Amino acid sequence: MKDVETRPRRYSRVIILTILLASLPLIVGFSLLVISSFSTEMVTNLNPSSFHLTLENWISVFHGKLATTGGIRAPILRITLNTLIVALGVAGVVTAVSALAGYSLSRVNFRGRKHMMILLLVLHAFPGVALIVGVYLLYRLTFPQSMDIVRLYSFMYVIFARAALEIPMSVWLMKGFFDTIPWEFEWSGIIDGASRITVWRKIMLPLIKPGILAVALFAFLAGWQDIIYVRTFLIDQTLATFIEANIEAEFSHMPMIAAAGTLYLLPTIIFFITAQQLLLQGYSGGIKG
Amino acid sequence: MNVKREKLTTLSFFLSPMAVMVVLFYLVPLIMTVYISFTRMRNWNVSKYLTEFVGFYNYHRLLYMFQHDPTFKAVLLTTVVFVGITLIINVFGGLALALATFFIEDKPASAFRLLWLLPRMSPIAVYSLVWYYFFHGSEIGTLNSILMKLGVISQPIPWGQIVPWGAWSIIIFVNGLVGVSFGMIVFTSALNQIPKELVIAARVDGASSWQISRRILIPMIRWHLLYVLTWQFLSLLTTYPHLFLLVQWDLVNGDYGTTLALYVFNTAFGMGEQDQGLAAAAAVLLSVIGIIGGFVTLKVLKFERMMKRPRGDF
Amino acid sequence: MVRIILDSITKKFDDFIALRNISLKIEDKEFMALLGPSGSGKSTLLYTIAGIYKPTGGRIYFGDRDITDIPPKDRNVGLVFQNWALYPHMKVFDNIAFPLELRKVPRQEITVKVREVARMLHIEDLLDRYPWQLSGGQQQRVAIARALVKEPDVLLLDEPLSNLDALLRIEVRAELKRLQKELGITAIYVTHDQAEALAMADRIAVIREGKILQVGTPDDVYYRPKYRFVGGFLGNPPMNFVDAEVDAENGYLNVYGSRIPVPAQYRELVEKLGIKEVLLGFRPHDAEVLREKREGLAGEVYSFEPLGREQIVTVSVDGAFVKVFAPEGEHFSFGEKVTVELREDRIVLFDKKTEKALEFLV
Repeated sequence: MKDVETRPRRYSRVIILTILLASLPLIVGFSLLVISSFSTEMVTNLNPSSFHLTLENWISVFHGKLATTGGIRAPILRITLNTLIVALGVAGVVTAVSALAGYSLSRVNFRGRKHMMILLLVLHAFPGVALIVGVYLLYRLTFPQSMDIVRLYSFMYVIFARAALEIPMSVWLMKGFFDTIPWEFEWSGIIDGASRITVWRKIMLPLIKPGILAVALFAFLAGWQDIIYVRTFLIDQTLATFIEANIEAEFSHMPMIAAAGTLYLLPTIIFFITAQQLLLQGYSGGIKG
Repeated sequence: MNVKREKLTTLSFFLSPMAVMVVLFYLVPLIMTVYISFTRMRNWNVSKYLTEFVGFYNYHRLLYMFQHDPTFKAVLLTTVVFVGITLIINVFGGLALALATFFIEDKPASAFRLLWLLPRMSPIAVYSLVWYYFFHGSEIGTLNSILMKLGVISQPIPWGQIVPWGAWSIIIFVNGLVGVSFGMIVFTSALNQIPKELVIAARVDGASSWQISRRILIPMIRWHLLYVLTWQFLSLLTTYPHLFLLVQWDLVNGDYGTTLALYVFNTAFGMGEQDQGLAAAAAVLLSVIGIIGGFVTLKVLKFERMMKRPRGDF
Repeated sequence: MVRIILDSITKKFDDFIALRNISLKIEDKEFMALLGPSGSGKSTLLYTIAGIYKPTGGRIYFGDRDITDIPPKDRNVGLVFQNWALYPHMKVFDNIAFPLELRKVPRQEITVKVREVARMLHIEDLLDRYPWQLSGGQQQRVAIARALVKEPDVLLLDEPLSNLDALLRIEVRAELKRLQKELGITAIYVTHDQAEALAMADRIAVIREGKILQVGTPDDVYYRPKYRFVGGFLGNPPMNFVDAEVDAENGYLNVYGSRIPVPAQYRELVEKLGIKEVLLGFRPHDAEVLREKREGLAGEVYSFEPLGREQIVTVSVDGAFVKVFAPEGEHFSFGEKVTVELREDRIVLFDKKTEKALEFLV
C-alpha cells in the first residue's frame, strides 16, 4: 500500500492539474515545433490559419534535398549519418572504458582506490569549458598533415574527446552496477581457477547487461545531442551544426528546419517510449542510496 | 612476488583505458589551458604565440576588465544572477515535482516525470530551437502571439533584448527546465526509499499531504537536498551549451545572456577576434572556483560514507 | 468508545479476493482478536477498518455512522503497526505529540497529554530520545502511546508483539489487556498466535482465506470449535483428530479397532443426522494414558517428551498418532501397550465432508 485508498479523488486531480499547468510551456513548445514540420508555414504564432498541412518538408528531408539559404542542397541523410556515427562512437568508447574501470573499482582492493574515486568525482564536476581550450590545442598540435585522413581524424577526435566527458559519471554508474552483484559469483569463478580478466568477461559482464545497456544508452544520447564538440572539432556537419547554421533562413524555409529538428528529436522520443524504466532508473543510478 | 605482479597486470588491463583518456583529455588539456593563460595566444596562432611566456598579463587584464569593462561586468553579474536564481528554481522545482508525483497515481506520475526529462534529453540544438520560436521577437514568437491575442501587448516584443531582466529571464527559464529534472529524479528516488508505513501512520494520525511533506518526507531527505543543492551549484557555474545557441542566434542580448563559462568559450572560439590567452585565464579562474566548490561539496556530503571497501583480499 | 459493525465486507486486489463477505459486530469496549494464519486476510480487514483500504463491497459503521468512505483521519482510530512505524527523525516526545499537533491542539495541552500517556506506558524517561536509541519493547510502547494520545474511539493493533522476544511478549500481553480494560477502548487485535488471542481477548474471530469461520469467547472457540480448522488452530499442542465410524444402533464409535460410546452430548444428533463417518477431535489434556485395559483407544507408546511438570506422550493408535499429556512422574517405555481414555464431555465430532462440528449442521 502506498497511500490510503479512502482519500477523495479530487485531491489527486488537483495535483495533476497543477503539474499540467506548469508543464504547459514545455508541451506547447515542443508540440508546435513538431506540428510546424507538417505545415507550409510555422505555426508557432498559434494562428490556426497558418497551418497548411503538407508533407513537403518531410519529403524534402528524406530526399536529402533540403533547400536552405541560397538554394544550396544539404545532404540531410549524410548529416544524419554523421550524427549517428558520433553517437555510436561515443556509446562504444564510454561503455568499453567504464565497464573495464568500473569493475576494478568495485571489486579489486588496491592502493589509491579511494583517491581515484575522489578524482573521478572532481573531474565530473570540473568545468568542461576550461578543458576545451586545452583539448583543442592538443587537437591542433596532433593534426595530421595528410589530407586523406583529416576527416577520419576529426571524427575520431570528436568521439574520444566527447566520450571522455562522460567517463567519470559512467565509471561511477558501472561501479554501482557491479556492486550489486553478490560476491559469490566471483569467488566461485576464482576458485575454479579463472583469472580476474576471465571472471570479468565470462561471469560479470553477462550479469550486468541492464547496466551496460543503461550506460550505452546515456552515452549514445550524449553523443547524439552534442553541439559544442562537433562544431569545434568535426569537419563534417551533424544535425546539430546544421540547425545552428540555418537558423537565419527565410521564414519560408523554417518549417523544413523544424522537420530537421523533429528528425533530430526522433531517437530521444524512441528511447522515451521503449526504455522508460531504464531511463528513470539510470538517472538515479549513480546516487547514494 | 608473482601475486603482486599479476595484480598489477590485471589492474593495468582494467584501468589503463580510463587512465589514458583521463590523461589525454583532462590532465594534459588542463596543463595546456593553464599554460596558454600565460601566453598571448590569439586566433589559434599556435606557432607564433606558444613559446612566448608573458606571466600574469592575462590575469591583470581580467582584473582591469572587472573594474572597467562594462561587457565583462555584465557577464559577471549575469553569472551571479543566473546561478543564484536558477539554483533555487532547480532545487525547489525538482522537490515540488518529486512531491507532487509522489502523491498521485503511478501512471500519471511516470508520464509527468518522463515529460520533464525531455529538456535534459533533447538534442541541444532542438531544445534551443523550441525556445527560439517561443521567445522570438517577431510575431511568429509564441509568447508574443499569446500576449497579443490576449490584448496585453499590441506589438511583438524582442524579449531577449530587454536588458537585463528580459535576457536573464529567458536564460534562467531555459536552463531551469533542464535542471529541474535532476532534482526531480534524485528526490523521487529518495522518497521511494522511505518506508511506506510512515506515510500511512501519518495519515492515520491525521496528516494532509502537505503536512506529510513538510513534517516527514522533507526532513527525511535532507542529505539528498544538500546533494542536489551543491551539485547543481557547480553544474550551473560551469554549464554553457544550452546558452550557447541562444546567444549565437541573437535570441538574447549578448552581454546579459552570457555567463562566465560561455564567455570563456566565445572568447576562445567565437567569431571575430579570438583571444585564447584571455579565455584561458578566465577558464583557470572558473576552474579554481570549481575545484574549491568540488571539495567543499565532498566534505559537506560526508563523502566517506559513500564508499565501501571491496571484500576479499585479492 | 464505540461499537463497530462490518456488513458484508468484500475486498479485492485486482483478481485476488482478500476478504469474502465478512460480517462482524464488535461491541463497545470489547477486546476482539482477529486470529488466523498468514495470508488469511486479518491484517487486510484491520486496515479496512482503519480506512487505509476501501472495501470493494459492503459497509462499515462506527455506532450509527457509516464511515466506509471516510479517510482515517476522520475516523478517530489509533493504529499500532507491526513494526511500529515511528518517525525516525523525531524525538519520542514529538512522535507521540504528532497527532495532536496536526489537530492544532495548543502546545501546553499537548505537553500534558503526552506526559500522561507516556506515564501510563512507563516511558516518561524516554521522551527526549530518538526511536533508534530505544529497544524493541520501548519502541513498541511509543507506538502504542502515539495511537492512544488522541483518545481514539477504536484501538487497532496489527500483531504488535511479534517483533518482541518471547519473554517480553508474555509480559506485555498482560499489560496491554489491563490497559485496554482501564481505558475502556474498543480494541481490535490481529495475531497469528493462538495463545495470545486466548489470553487477551474477550472474543475471538477466527479467519481463514478471507472468511470468518467462527466468532466466540475463548472458551467457545477452544472447547466448542465450529470447524475442524478452528479446533486444530487453537491449542498447543493442537487438537487430535482421528477417524471414527458411527454404529448408531448400538451407540458406539469405532476408532481404529477400538470401541468407545458415543458421547452423551452427541447421541441425539448422531441419530438425527444419520451420519456414518465422523472425525473425532479431542485435546491432549482432555485424555489420559492408562496401562489398564479400559474403554478408550488402544495403542502403543510411540514417544514421550518431558516438559518439566508434565510430559507429552505420543501414542500410535493403529497407525494414527495422538498426543496426550501425562504427569511427570509416570515412566513410559517405547512400544508399551496403553489405552487412551477420553474425557467424554470434551469430545467434538466433525462431519468428514464439510469438516463442520455436528452441532452446527442443524
